[in-house]
Amino acid sequence: MSPTEPDDNMIPEGDDFIAAEYVLGVLPEQERREVARRIETDKPFAELVARWQTQFDPLNDEYDAAQAPQQLKSRIDQRLFAIEVASSSSFWNNIAFWRGLAFAALAFAVIGIGRDLIERPARISEQLVASMETQGSSVHTLAIFDDQTKKLKVTVVSGDMPKDRSLELWLIAGNEAPVSLGLMVSPQVTEFNLSSPLLAKLRDGTTLALTVEPVGGAPGGAPTGPIVAAGIVRKI
Amino acid sequence: MTPEGISELISRVSLRDRAAFDVLYAATSAKLFGVCLRVLGNRTEAEDALQDIYVKIWNKAGRFAVADTSPISWLVAIARNHCIDVLRSRKPAAVELDQAAEVSEPSPNPEQAAVASGEAQRIYDCLGQLEADRAAAVRGAYLNGDSYEALASRHNVPLNTMRTWLRRSLIKLKECLEG
Repeated sequence: MSPTEPDDNMIPEGDDFIAAEYVLGVLPEQERREVARRIETDKPFAELVARWQTQFDPLNDEYDAAQAPQQLKSRIDQRLFAIEVASSSSFWNNIAFWRGLAFAALAFAVIGIGRDLIERPARISEQLVASMETQGSSVHTLAIFDDQTKKLKVTVVSGDMPKDRSLELWLIAGNEAPVSLGLMVSPQVTEFNLSSPLLAKLRDGTTLALTVEPVGGAPGGAPTGPIVAAGIVRKI
Repeated sequence: MTPEGISELISRVSLRDRAAFDVLYAATSAKLFGVCLRVLGNRTEAEDALQDIYVKIWNKAGRFAVADTSPISWLVAIARNHCIDVLRSRKPAAVELDQAAEVSEPSPNPEQAAVASGEAQRIYDCLGQLEADRAAAVRGAYLNGDSYEALASRHNVPLNTMRTWLRRSLIKLKECLEG
């Protein structure tokens, strides 16, 4: 306890205290805005804020995770990317604009997958994911391995699935021949069950690829059509 | 997901990698939505806030590289600060007070404290050394975004008294945390 107790009406306002007040969030609107501006321009002060923030960070564990509604991510994408596309191209360039909107709409699918991730604490499990795309193809897909159900979930983020052909997913471990994991049945989420030998091969560095095949899949068990999307599995 | 995994995603987002942004959202949005719900206490506002927060994350991802903090702390700080800004810009103070009353007082969480170790345990130990109502005021401010007005009214003291309380609490906390 300090020897001189501060009087209720005489509150000393050291920078360190202001930094702590900002981190706690107790300041009124105007003061808070001024402090936020100061953080941008005053580096020593910003460091005081950062130090207090670090001290309080452990309390963040008390925020319980809650699943956000499905459509939110596509609204975010629409704000970020539809506008970006529209403003960077000519006003009349509707194709680019609509492609941006389509991307936003298709991003729904990603959230479908995300839900499964979300319900678990973010830092406990590692996740195997692969973002699959390839030059010259508009198909962009995302694969996430669900460690609990042992299923590989694949979604088409952008681009169209061919109507009169099938998209087949292949796993390529090292220099081994591609092994079929099955056909994409839905642009939203297709779940692939992996046999135990294949599960063992699905790890950081494994390649996943989608090829266009005759309806029902490649007849000989080996890919015959062009690759429309491919990516390397990463552990994150 | 590991902190390293989230860090990598954030740096890829700073390079405008949309796929990384998708995965980052999938992996972290539940936590940040939890922050929004608790601070704003209202689903509609929380949903709007979450959108603004991920727009900020997309735009500010480049700054993460120079921030000396864990990725999830960095993300939660963006979310918390945004929600508190929203809370402070609400016009009638009465709404805020009502809202604060609805949010249950955060109870000490022994399980959490038991799991927390080392540095994380420290803030709990140090809060534990404060008088109970002062510790509750600090936690209420941090976790629920309580303003000075809300805290003063909850604890039935004048606003300046609350500020003095908090200041003394923070001095004690600092001594304890850095001691």
